[in-house]
Amino acid sequence: MSEGRTKRWRRREAGIALLIAIFVLLLIGVIGIALVVSSGTETALAGNYRSSTTVYYASVAGLEEVRARLRPNNPNSFNALTPGTFLPRQGTPLAICNPVYVLNPAPGEVVAPWDPGNPYYDQQYGQEFGAVCTGTLPPNPSPNTTSVWQNTPLSRLSSPPPAYKWVRISAITEQSLNLDTCPNDSTPDPALVYYGLVSRCSPTSFNLNDTATGAQVLELTALAALPNGSQKLLQYLVAPTPLPLTFSAALTLDGDNVQFTVPNSTNFQVGGTDQGSVGNCNPGTLGPPAVTAVGYTNSSDASRTNILNAIQANRTGNYTPSLTPPPPTPNVSLVSLPSLGCPGCSLTNVGGLNALVQAITQSADVVIQGPATQSSMPSAMSATNPMTIVINGSLTFDGWHSTGYGLLLVTGDFTFDPDASWDGIVLVIGTGNLNSHQSGNGQFLGSVFLARTLDTSGNPLPPGSAPVSPYFDFTPTSGSNGVYYSSCWVQAAQPASSYKILSFHEISQ
Amino acid sequence: MKPPRGVKQERGFTLIEMLASLGIFLLVTGAAFTLLTSSQQRYQTESEVLTSFQEARLGVDQMVRDINDAGFPPPTFATTDPRKVTLAPFGWSPNYTIPAPCQIGTAGGGTCFTPTDFDIIIETEPSPPDPNCPGSVEWIRYQLPQNGTTLMRGVACKQAGAEPGVQTSGVLTPFVQNVVNNSPTLQIGQFQLDAAYPALFPGGVPVPLFQYTCDTPSVPQNPPQPCPLAGADNAPANIRDVAITLIVAAPLPDSATGQPRLLQLKGRGRRINPNQ
Repeated sequence: MSEGRTKRWRRREAGIALLIAIFVLLLIGVIGIALVVSSGTETALAGNYRSSTTVYYASVAGLEEVRARLRPNNPNSFNALTPGTFLPRQGTPLAICNPVYVLNPAPGEVVAPWDPGNPYYDQQYGQEFGAVCTGTLPPNPSPNTTSVWQNTPLSRLSSPPPAYKWVRISAITEQSLNLDTCPNDSTPDPALVYYGLVSRCSPTSFNLNDTATGAQVLELTALAALPNGSQKLLQYLVAPTPLPLTFSAALTLDGDNVQFTVPNSTNFQVGGTDQGSVGNCNPGTLGPPAVTAVGYTNSSDASRTNILNAIQANRTGNYTPSLTPPPPTPNVSLVSLPSLGCPGCSLTNVGGLNALVQAITQSADVVIQGPATQSSMPSAMSATNPMTIVINGSLTFDGWHSTGYGLLLVTGDFTFDPDASWDGIVLVIGTGNLNSHQSGNGQFLGSVFLARTLDTSGNPLPPGSAPVSPYFDFTPTSGSNGVYYSSCWVQAAQPASSYKILSFHEISQ
Repeated sequence: MKPPRGVKQERGFTLIEMLASLGIFLLVTGAAFTLLTSSQQRYQTESEVLTSFQEARLGVDQMVRDINDAGFPPPTFATTDPRKVTLAPFGWSPNYTIPAPCQIGTAGGGTCFTPTDFDIIIETEPSPPDPNCPGSVEWIRYQLPQNGTTLMRGVACKQAGAEPGVQTSGVLTPFVQNVVNNSPTLQIGQFQLDAAYPALFPGGVPVPLFQYTCDTPSVPQNPPQPCPLAGADNAPANIRDVAITLIVAAPLPDSATGQPRLLQLKGRGRRINPNQ
């Protein structure tokens, strides 16, 4: 009886293969688990970094969307919303303690930054404005609109929208900033903060101020949140930077030793008399009834002589404003260049002209890499929709029987075929060469401005130097009806002001 | 009494059986322990690499955040107290107080003592505010000393009329260990030979920790250029992007091979605040 059991027992104990196998399995298991843990940590590390980067750019996407939509010529501009329902009417500042929100909820999600029970509640509002507004909550509900990602066509995309949840647009004061801006009276005031040129703080550069000088500063704050809980709060201060381009002549040749050739025809005229109505704008209502016909900027070089020598004796009457009493003809005068609104911009030196080109490029409707032709002109351009077009290089019109409208900035040579016309502003800044060798009856209505910022080898001149030798090169046999000043077209062609980033800041939560 | 036959046959093992089983046991356990040892070594090395990776990743993340935030609040905030606004997004040395910009170079070129390939000073007011510098802009400096392997970080409150290079030089503390970007050439050669990392150190020379692109306001049509190629715009105030390349070594060489283990991390910070 007991013998049989012992036998079976011993048979089971024979060998230690099982023990060894278990031991080895244990070892392998431990090593395996260690490797899994290690790779898991690594994955988590990489994942955290990815989340942090994703949520940062999602938040920047929100800020950039709102900054773009503040521009009046943006297709999704806030101006298209009923005035007063979101942002106040143009000309009325946004009041402090009245924030508005752009909402971007994920499908099935509710984003209500004014609701303390909402997962995306705007806590930062209370931290920033709690001391200057009554209470720490934004008005419930605050005016709001949806992001472009909520509307067609972007809402139809299969890829998910950026993970920002809301962008707040708010006004700021010195008190909310807790900072004393220009004019530095050492105490933060409750007045709204603006961005403009206050000469007692700085004669040349724009600054934040509480004297209502310039344009109102808006604060954009964006919250982005990922499903895994990563959140990022970023903040811009932005302000529009208008470019009030004004001209003292129908044709301005900016720089030393201008070069000038013009057609010898009765049709070709350069007229300084203000003409051309646009909408309700009529000639003479925006400024003087006439400006100089051909303006140059250096009286101590050959500029004036070069211009006068090019004009045939029997055509001097073609270069004049119609004034009473009539000024001596041809009306070629030294002009003083107007100052410009954009920071750093100037028409008198290369650096300022370059800054102007940059400012216009930033607010352009279309930027085209040259060499370009008339086929590059946007089809949406019309008399009722003048556009800002920047040609980064040369532009050639050839056989274009049409009219362009708006602001045309060419940085290379502009070869013009007088079959075409242009209503608005034409700037040739860079090579400063506007030439025509063909026939036609086209004309410029508005103002034409030439400046050369490159040396003879095509290299940029130093920023502090004056522009040199602009070249208005309409060969004597070419056509064209010339250049005519129009203050209404100059106004209609002003580039839409873009909102400049005044500051950027990440806010910890 | 005579034991039953079956029991007698099973009693004990023969010497041959013992030797054979012992031999097999030794073989199997030997193999198992060899596997265990090598796995332990691998695990130890990988843990160290992972620790270095984690430290380096945190370091790069912090540097990118600081660079993104550089230049807040900008000078346009028009506050008369220079401690409350930045002069430029990045501080420099020498001649910060004059202020006259210096030229950024690589491999010891340029006239800037900082910023250089291994040194940067970020000027910003962090959020949340630093209790040591209430309401004041800070200078945040990252510096990898010549032939050093510890990336240092130091924060100093901005002082009116003070040089950021001087203010931050006394407050640097270790930030990331075992950074080998700026190792002596001999050691770099060793990395290339031993560790078979020829791609990490092109040309066998130190790898810049920071590489800069500059805005070119004087030639607005140009996109940002590498600062040393930006001509007149090569100045610390014009720095737009900072590309970070961080090469770290595990604290101990690979236990199995005895060779150093290196890791390369790349990051990019983009300053958004305006230049001036």
